[in-house]
Amino acid sequence: MVERSQKEVWRLAPWLLIVLLLGNFILMAFDAREITSGQRFIRVWAQTVADFVQSPVTSVTSSVTNYFSSIANLRGAQDENSKLKQQVQELQVELKGKQELTAENDRLKGLLNFKQTSKITVLSAQIIGRDPSAWFDSAIINRGSLDGVKLNMPIVTDGGLVGRVTAVSPLTAQVDLITRDKSGVGGVIGEIGSSTALGVISGTSKKDVLDMRYVPGTIDVQVGQLVYTTGQDGIYPAGLKIGEVVAVSKGSATTPNSIQIQPAAGLNSMQEVGVLLYEPPQRPEFDQRLPNTGKETKKGK
Amino acid sequence: MEGVKLTIALIIAVLLQWTLRNVAEPFTFIDFPLIIVVYAALQRNSIRAILFATFSGLAVDALSGGLLGSNAFAKTLVAYAVSEITRRVYMDNLLLRIPVIAGACLVSELIYYGLHRLFGITPNADPVVTISYTLIGTTIVGTVIYILLERVSAEKRSSRKPEMFKPRRQTRRRNPIRLSK
Repeated sequence: MVERSQKEVWRLAPWLLIVLLLGNFILMAFDAREITSGQRFIRVWAQTVADFVQSPVTSVTSSVTNYFSSIANLRGAQDENSKLKQQVQELQVELKGKQELTAENDRLKGLLNFKQTSKITVLSAQIIGRDPSAWFDSAIINRGSLDGVKLNMPIVTDGGLVGRVTAVSPLTAQVDLITRDKSGVGGVIGEIGSSTALGVISGTSKKDVLDMRYVPGTIDVQVGQLVYTTGQDGIYPAGLKIGEVVAVSKGSATTPNSIQIQPAAGLNSMQEVGVLLYEPPQRPEFDQRLPNTGKETKKGK
Repeated sequence: MEGVKLTIALIIAVLLQWTLRNVAEPFTFIDFPLIIVVYAALQRNSIRAILFATFSGLAVDALSGGLLGSNAFAKTLVAYAVSEITRRVYMDNLLLRIPVIAGACLVSELIYYGLHRLFGITPNADPVVTISYTLIGTTIVGTVIYILLERVSAEKRSSRKPEMFKPRRQTRRRNPIRLSK
């Protein structure tokens, strides 16, 4: 290796600094331009390398945690056992009622000639890494393009919607949460089809709160109502649970309601998630021609 | 040899940054790569320090939801500033290094946050809380790491001392003026 004199180092350092700062600034500018669907070469390869470290660390950590939690759980096992026995008896009664309802539902479906139009495959994944920066909350999952994961695929837990895939490497994928500042989800308060309270849900830079905008002020919204995806945003399928309304600031005929939602998925404590192998239906290309351009070309002819 | 050791320390720091948040959430408030970058800058090799800063920053950015290059930008600037200060001011005392790591952390976090705001992105975390916690975490852990690194290098220095400075042969001084007969 070439040994440089101290004087030479001090002379070269400012130039190297300028080059590196400029390079980083250009990278930032490109990344900011496509922050919503960032698929960068550096990200993909760094994720692939990190997977070899993150996966073993995660498995060791989870096994140690499980071991200690199982010891802790033993203490309350006896009380829990008696409670569970009671619950089983109650559930058996409930189950009988449910079975009757299911049978009735099947009969009705048959009568209405109900067709199940789409079934989305759910790929289970484990969170192997969290954002190394304290400023953001993205996560890395142990499923990548080799498992069929693609950009913008929705991520869910049993609680509800978590976010979407923003970068995919062969073995891993990066997930951005719905609480992120720039995220946007088409949502509806109440049941799809019957409710007209449609709006856009976006992150608020706070971990446990989402904002719902553009819901007309004339629509009555109650705290505690559930919010679902509409499927109109071109990313998420319809019917996924987003969260629950926790605060409403009533609008008027001219101003929309200001609604705050608490995400249904436990975003701070999730360990396992599901990747919905869902690709939104292709939309017809936007016709950029103006209505009168056809006439102009005819005139030109 | 010093460069190789610092490179290994930097790789370990990046790996810790990648993995420790999954072990426990508070670890996210310790900027391990910054500690090593500032240590490299304190060794008066500014080129090594800014290269370390860029590579470690990019490695962290690649797995982060933030802008790619923002961490690298902040760390590079801080590394250069620290190496320039070290050129002018004597910084070999550990007590002087504590405010340096604290200041470097504060400036780095402010630049990182400012760059995101400049590009229209609002980070998820509260800036005051995040900067305060990161400042405390990085300064405490940085001080401990510096003590360890200094101890390692001091042991090496003391073991090398006999080789570098061989004991001088004691010659018997003769008094040219003989008072005897």
